[in-house]
Formats: sequence, C-alpha cells, structure tokens
Amino acid sequence: MNARRLAVLSLLSALVIGVAGLPASAHAQAKSELTIALSSFSAETVDPVLQGHNVKYYLSLMFDYLVGTTPDGQPSAAGGLATRWENSADHKRWTFHLRKGVKFHTGDEMTSEDVKFSLQRAMSKRSTTGYAGPLRALIQDIETPAPDRVVIVTRDPTLIIPTYLSRSLSTEGIVVPKKYIEANGDDVFARKPVGTGPYRFVEQVVGSHIKMAAVDNHWRLGTPKYKTVTFKLVPEETTRIALLRRGEADVADVSRERVKELTSEGFPVHFRKDEAILHAWWVLGPDGLVPPMKDKRVREALNIAIDRNEIAQSIFAGGADPAAIPMGLTWAYRDIGFKQPPEMTYVYDPARAKKLLAEAGVGSGFSLDVYAYQLPGLPEGKAFAEAIAGYWEKLGIKTKLIPVDYPAFRKVWVDRKAPGVVGYYNIANRDWIGAYAILDKMAYGPSKPNDTVADPEIDAMLGQIMRQTDREKIGALMRNVYTRLRSEHFGMPVVYLHAAYATSKTLGKWTPGTVMYDLFLDNLAAGK
Amino acid sequence: MLRFVLFRLLQSLVALAILSVVVFVLARATGDPLHMILPMSATAEDYDNARKYLGLDRPYVEQYLSFVGRALVGDFGTSLRARRPVLDLLRDRLPGSLKLATFAMGVSLALAFPLGIMAAVKKGTTLDRTAQVVSVLGQSLPTFWVAIVLVEVVAGRLQWLPAGGNEGFTSYILPGFTLGWFVVAGLMRLLRSGMLEVLDSEYVKLARLKGVTERRVVWVHALRNALVPVVTFAGIYFAILVTTAIVVETVFAWPGLGRLAYDGITSRDFPVIQAVVLTTAAIVAVVNLCVDCLYALIDPRIRYAR
Amino acid sequence: MSIVALPELTVSAERLHRRRRWPVVSVGIIVAFVLAALLAPVLSPADPYEQSLRLRYRPPVWEARGSWASPLGTDRLGRDLLSRILYGARVSLAAGVVTVLVASAIGAAIGLAAGYYGGRVDAALMRVTDATLSFPVILLALILAVTVGPSFGNVVIAIAVILWARYARVIRGQVLTLMQLDFIAQARIAGASGWRIITRHLLPNTLNTLVVLVTLQVGYVIIVEASLSFLGAGIPPPTPAWGGMIAEGRDVVTSAWWVSLFPGLAILLVVLAFNLLGDWLRDTLDPRLRQL
Repeated sequence: MNARRLAVLSLLSALVIGVAGLPASAHAQAKSELTIALSSFSAETVDPVLQGHNVKYYLSLMFDYLVGTTPDGQPSAAGGLATRWENSADHKRWTFHLRKGVKFHTGDEMTSEDVKFSLQRAMSKRSTTGYAGPLRALIQDIETPAPDRVVIVTRDPTLIIPTYLSRSLSTEGIVVPKKYIEANGDDVFARKPVGTGPYRFVEQVVGSHIKMAAVDNHWRLGTPKYKTVTFKLVPEETTRIALLRRGEADVADVSRERVKELTSEGFPVHFRKDEAILHAWWVLGPDGLVPPMKDKRVREALNIAIDRNEIAQSIFAGGADPAAIPMGLTWAYRDIGFKQPPEMTYVYDPARAKKLLAEAGVGSGFSLDVYAYQLPGLPEGKAFAEAIAGYWEKLGIKTKLIPVDYPAFRKVWVDRKAPGVVGYYNIANRDWIGAYAILDKMAYGPSKPNDTVADPEIDAMLGQIMRQTDREKIGALMRNVYTRLRSEHFGMPVVYLHAAYATSKTLGKWTPGTVMYDLFLDNLAAGK
Repeated sequence: MLRFVLFRLLQSLVALAILSVVVFVLARATGDPLHMILPMSATAEDYDNARKYLGLDRPYVEQYLSFVGRALVGDFGTSLRARRPVLDLLRDRLPGSLKLATFAMGVSLALAFPLGIMAAVKKGTTLDRTAQVVSVLGQSLPTFWVAIVLVEVVAGRLQWLPAGGNEGFTSYILPGFTLGWFVVAGLMRLLRSGMLEVLDSEYVKLARLKGVTERRVVWVHALRNALVPVVTFAGIYFAILVTTAIVVETVFAWPGLGRLAYDGITSRDFPVIQAVVLTTAAIVAVVNLCVDCLYALIDPRIRYAR
Repeated sequence: MSIVALPELTVSAERLHRRRRWPVVSVGIIVAFVLAALLAPVLSPADPYEQSLRLRYRPPVWEARGSWASPLGTDRLGRDLLSRILYGARVSLAAGVVTVLVASAIGAAIGLAAGYYGGRVDAALMRVTDATLSFPVILLALILAVTVGPSFGNVVIAIAVILWARYARVIRGQVLTLMQLDFIAQARIAGASGWRIITRHLLPNTLNTLVVLVTLQVGYVIIVEASLSFLGAGIPPPTPAWGGMIAEGRDVVTSAWWVSLFPGLAILLVVLAFNLLGDWLRDTLDPRLRQL
C-alpha cells in the first residue's frame, strides 16, 4: 500500500511542480515595443540570399540595400547605401558612390569590399534569391577602386543594374558584412545575421517570431521611436484580430472579409491597393497550350464566363477590382506609360461564352481540372477555385477540383505532366523591371519550365527588352507585350487584390507603400 | 525489476527502429523540397546543384544510414527550409510543447476528479448523466472550433486573456483548457468505473454494515482504487497531448512540436519531419515505460501480462 | 456454436436491469441522422453543390434577411446550408463508420493472431503495433494529403492505418486472458484447428469489446476528420463534410455565425450520441474495458 501511495504522490507532485514551474511573468507591453502579427513569414530565413524570392518585411529593417527606394517604388539616393551612381556611355560600366561612415551592427565600417562580397554571394551557387539568374548572366566583373566606390562591369549594355540592386525588387542588393561572414561562416550568419539597418537582430524562434532592437543614430531613420520590433507569426485570422483588440499586436494583416467589422470598431485599416494580381492559367504541355485551350475562342470563353465583379465583391468582400490583362502589373504601368483601355475589360457574358465554345467545336463541353490551394496572402484561394469552377460548370464544362498544396501544384506546373489544368497565383505587383522579370519567367520560353505562355511573337518582344538601353523603346515593347497577352487571352487575369493591414488605434500614420514584398515599416518604426 | 525495464527498453527501441524506416520513406514520398526552396525561374542545373548542396542526390540507403547514424548521437541534420540545425528547432519547441501538455493535463485532472467522483457516487441519477455529458462534450467538438470561439470571445471580445503566443502564465489558460477538456472524458470514465467497482463490491458493503462512514468509503476506499488506472493512463494521455496539440498550437500561435511538424510536412522538410516524429515517438515510449514501471511497482502481478 | 460464458462476462441481475433501459436519446439522435443521410435527396431544399455568389452568407430564415429558400442560411459560395448539412451527414457518418470498421477488422485480426500464436509472432506484431501507436494520426494524414492529395479514401486510410493498433492491443490482451481458460485447452485437445479456435471461440468472446470500441470511436474519427479539414487535409471541397464546413466558416464566426454553428451542432450531437451510447454499451456489456 505504501509503494502505491508513494507512486501516486510522486506523480501528482511532479504534475504540480510542472504547473507551478511555468513562467509567470506578467504580460506587459511598453510603448517602446512594436509588434507586427503576420499570417505568413514565407521562408523564414533571415539570410537574404536564402529567401530572395520571398517577403522581406523583416529584412528591410535589419539591412540596407545598395540602392534605396521611395515608398512608391522609385530609386532613391537618400534611402540606400549608394548616394549617387552613374553609367558609362555604352551602358556597360556602372559606378556606385557609397555613403561614408555607415557601420555594421558589429561596429565594422561598411566598404566597397562588402558590396562586392555581397553581390558575389547573391550570385553564388548557394544563393536561392529570385532574380540572381539574370545577374549571373550579365555581370562580368566587380571592381573596388576605392573603399567608397564600386564599379559593376556588365557583358552587355543594360539599364537594369540600379533597380536590380535596389529595395524595389528582391534581396540581391542587400549589403552584408564580409569580415563577419568570412570569420564565422554562412551557417552562423544565417542564425545571427548582421547588417547595417536601423534595427539589429536579437532572436528568432522559427515558426514563432523574429525580434530586433533599434540602433542609435542610424543614418536612415535616426534613433527610432520603438526600441524593439517583433514580427509574430500568427496563422489564424481570429487570433490575429484578437491580438490587435487586446493591444498585443500593433499591426496585423487581416482578410478583406473582416475589414468592415474592424473599421466599425475604430481600428484604422490600411490598404495596399493592387498588392497583387490574381492570375490563373492553363499548364502548358511540352509543345505549349493543348486543345481545346489551343483555340483562342475557348480561351476567351473561359475568360468571359467568369463574373469578375461578383468575385471581387463577394469572395474578396470588395477588397479587389476586376483585372483584364494577363500578368498586368499596374505598378509598372506608370514606368512604361501604359494605361489599360476601357475596351479591354472582360464583360461577363455566359451566353456568348457558350456560343464561342460551340464555334470552337466543344459546345458539348469538355473536362477541365482546377487545382485548388491556398497561398500566402490568398486565404480565399480555395473558395476562389470553387467559384471559377462553378462558373465553368454552368457552361457545361465538366470541372473537377483537385485540392493540393502549392508545392504540389508547382510540380505539376513545371513538370508539364498534366497539360491543360488550371492553376493560379497571386503575382505580387512591382515596378517595370520586376514586371519584366515576371514576364521573363512566365511568358518567355518555351524552354523555361515555368513558362505559361508559348507565343513566338511575345518571345521576340521580350527577347529585345533585356538588351535595350532606351527606356522609351522598352516602354513601347512592354506595352505591346501586354496588349498581345490580352488580345490572345493568354491566361485568365481575375482581380487585383488589395491587401488589408489593420493597426492599433494609437499607432501613428503609416503608408505601406507600393514596393514588392515590402511594407515600408520604416517610418512607422521611426515614429516619424 | 531491472530486467523488466531493460526488456521494455529494448522493445521500445525496436519499435523506434521500425518507425525510423517508415518515417524516412513517408517523408520522401511527400515530394520534392526544392520546389519550396528554389525560385520559380530555377533551371535544371539549379535543381541539380541544390540537390547536391543539400545532400539529396545521394542514394536512399546512404541517406537513411547517415540519418540514423547521426540521430543516434542526437543530430537530426539541417532543416531544408529554415537552414539551421533541426536540433535548434527542437530545442526551441519541445519545452513549449511539454509545458502546455503538462498544464493541459492539470486542467484535465482538475475537471475529471470532481466529475468522476460525482458521477460514481450519484450513479444513475441526473447528476451522473450531467457529469458524463459535460466530460464527453470536450471530445464531441472539433478542438479548432472550441479554440477559435474561445479566442474570439474570451480574448478578442472580453479581453480577459491573451489570444496567442507564449507570454507568461496567462497564455497557458486558453490553449490548456482547450486541450485539457479534450481528454477529460477518458480520465473521468476511468475514475467513475474504478470507483464503481469498489462501491459495488462485497467488502464495501460489509464495511458499510460495520458502520464505516460513507464519506470514508468514498474518499478512502473507492478513490484509492480508482487512482491507479488514472495515474497510469494520465501518463499515456500526456503523451497524446504532446502529439496532438497541432491544431491548438496553430490557433493559439503556440510554438510547439505540432506546428513544427506541420510546417515540416507542407514544405517537404525531410529532416524536420523525421526528427519530430521520432521525438514524439520517443516521448510516448518513455512515458509508457515509466507507466509500466510504476504499474509493476504497484501491482507485481501484471508485470509480465502486458 | 459455443459462446462460453466467462465469469467476468456473466451478466449480473443488476446489469440486466440496466440493460433494459436503453439510452433513448442517443439512439434517437443517431437514428435521426442516419435517416437524414439516407433521405438527403428528399429532405434537401436545394442542390448542395449549387453555388450563387449573389446569395452568399444569407442568414437563417428567422433573421432579418433570411428566407425560406435556405432555412439555415447559405455559406460563402451561396450554397444552401441545410442541404449541405444533410448531404454532409452521409459523408461524415460514412467516414466515421467505414474508418472504424476497417480499423477494427485489421486490429481484431492482428490482435487475435498475436494473442493466439504468441511467441515470436506476438513479439513482432506487437512491436509494429507499438510503432504505429506512437505515430500521431494527424501527422500521417497530413503526409498522405500532401503526397497523394486529400480525398475521402485517403482520410479513411490515414486514420484506419493508425487506429487499428488500439484494437490490436485491446483484443490481444483479452485473447491472452481467454487462452488461460479451460475451454480453449479443451478445444485444442478435441483437435480443433487454429483457425477454428480463433473464429469459433476467441472472436465471439471479444465481440462485446469490439462493439464498445467501435461505437466509442465513430465519434472520435468524425472529430479527427474535422481537425484534418482545419489543416487542409480532410475531405476536400466541394464535397459537403461537416468538419470542412466548420473550417470554412471559422473566419466568420461573428459575422456569419451560422456557417460554422450548424454543422458544429450536427457534429456535437452525433459525436455526443455515439460516445454516450458507447459508454452505455460498455457499462452494460463489458464494464472492465476502461482504457479508452
């Protein structure tokens, strides 16, 4: 009996001790803390070359780019490490003059050697940044004639260098400390990154949060108002909103559906208008589009069978606007002088869609698989897939929803094993170079595995852009590409998505800006 | 006793070895992690290069042996997604999981005892049935829904408790309750039937006749009899709590093992999947071993029956 | 046919008395939902797949904007909620029952084999059982879902592949006890084959336990399926399944509460009914079976 009692007692006491031993620090949020709750962190790596194709919300507070960007996406000499830059007459030598007295968080001064090292690192084999490919092909040499001067020599004439190394595109332009990385290795850097940004890295718990602390007297932001900034990963919407209501989070991304509710409670909601275009397409076969989508009339029919207004108003709760141009990125339009003509708008017309299908000889319908998946920033993904499948079903097309997660669809897409199936992506909006890069990825081919458009005419136009050094001509080519994408119905542009960010009631003014994958939290953090 | 422990330990190791093969194969069946790592524009050469860099180009047998060999010395390799040692990730997550499970267990016991005792003493009455329904309710609602409603009402509207994250003691209450309520029914059943067994027995009837107070019958004789299975099964439920917290962790943004496994699976992060499954299995094995020892200590008769 | 009454399974007078009092409410709920599932095409006011974005998030009929066209309101794609719940009864109940039947068949077979043959067979089977029991169900289902895509069949397989181990454990334990008893030895002496002993003597004596386990676990499977839907690995849309419907409505718990509440109530009632029925069955048939 004693042994039994002892055993029971010991287990119970172990439980009690376990409970009592829990951390008991009370939750207290000082004013000097800024907490940002996000539904997705993307790749969650803090080494810029390991996640270049993903979000950089947290990176741009810890690092500086070679070339700065204004919140509306224009290159800026004030916001980056280069105070000015110039190019040779043949557009093959680009000289950047560096800001003096900029220090890494380790205390070491930033020099041209660091810039060269960073760029080489971004182009190295280890790098998985999204736009390193063109740089690898283009850059011949990087010279460091002085500690405050870097010269980038290219093989061909080009205009893309400054924008490619700026904050407006991906992370290739981020400058990292050569000395620190060479002394400690890539693995240590990936765990304890060091940059020149207004905040230094404090800690990261993968799947939970990234915490950083303000640096004094930063050249870009001065001494920020918030001493610490924490990015919290909170996948569930209800939880993010509850955090906001309780003041545990100051900024949170919210679904379009709940904007009305939050606004009525007095929470300011900031929209990033046109943050992405929701674009759907048919996976190509080895030789391009497959029947019946090879027929232009079928492509048009599938397009006009979708009621874009209804989708924007219902599924996206008004937080979206109808789109009409495949991969048409509006933030690039201002750069290339393009304005979408009203006649390009897709008018919802199921009757005509039926007629077009009959003309194409598939009036009795055909079967079409639609892959259904969620994407970061697109919680409505599956509902959207169900909705478009529903429209097509009404035309007599036998649509089948295939629920997968995105990597599984991506495999189907690039392997081209299931030609003709429908997939979609929320392509982040971006400036003209970024827009070109997307066209290069998704419309230029046909050898590229991720191509979605197989059209020699578009290939020819895109082929010319890369080596073109006249902005006017580039603009004209881009305009022509968009026009042809629309007139041939190469894909199904559905809506422009406006991303909603709610903030606490006491937080100051904030302009989330129009830069890809960047929320421009700088001014918010600085308290300016 | 020592022989028994060693024997059980050996059995657990065999089970873990079987599991290591299964999880190795299953993880690889999920697909190609490179689709999550490389940008859309990556060429075939980029894929080959990354495969080599990450050691995924080696033959499967070699990969398996190196995985097992390193796992034996506590090294689970490097996460393909987070690009840091899996051990770091485990170290960040495991304590959170264990603490939450401990708290949930406490909640569960705190609910199961009064309900179970009440149900047994008032057997067959409305009180008994109410107690049964209350405890079974926790098992009859999807955990995620309970969690979301609690977050919306208690954290979002009433603002009594934190909505998510691990920010101190108050952060434990909502996820702990959600998780704990789910296993109340099991523990309560054990208590009730354990007590009923005694209350119905001849010797208690005799004790009653002899004038032993009802209070003593219930609190000493019956409860004592019911405690043994409760204690043993509390251990097993604890293991269940650690391994099934994934939904609760997601809603409450709680950094634990379940969420780590979820992220590992969706990003085809083989080393993480392997590490989490084996770690949780090891926890289950250790808990079971402790329970068995405890049981054998208390009641030598069942030593070899299990 | 010889079902030997064992001492511990003898039904006492008191238990017989209790057995007569059927849990009317539980059985009533289960019967009602089974009928609803069978009669779904007759009872449904609309096609459960028919969407109409214009009619999305219509509240139930008693609310201001409600209408009799959809008595319980509509979901995010404007589909009739009542019809989806009725058809969902087919899917969710089928998922629960099929999974449990598959799992119990496998588990019983392995448990009987392990208990009867003992020795190495037992050791091998039990180690596999241990390994299976330590694999979290939800993780396996997630792996299957990302590997071959979520579907009704895969959900059933994923859960059954883990669940059988519990049956195997319990049945083996029972068989070990039965094997000590005289009638098995007698059957052996009489020259009965292993197969005959297992099917004629061991299996019938474990049936009570199986019935209790199966009843208790139908509800469990329905709940696990719901959790899988929440994680995106359950029975996929547009198929109406209760778990998936709650998961779809979880972001609008305040503004369009009916989308998650009504399927939630359906799950609650059914699972509660199965659990209470299971408890009653256990009290009546096999009071020693506790470990569930």
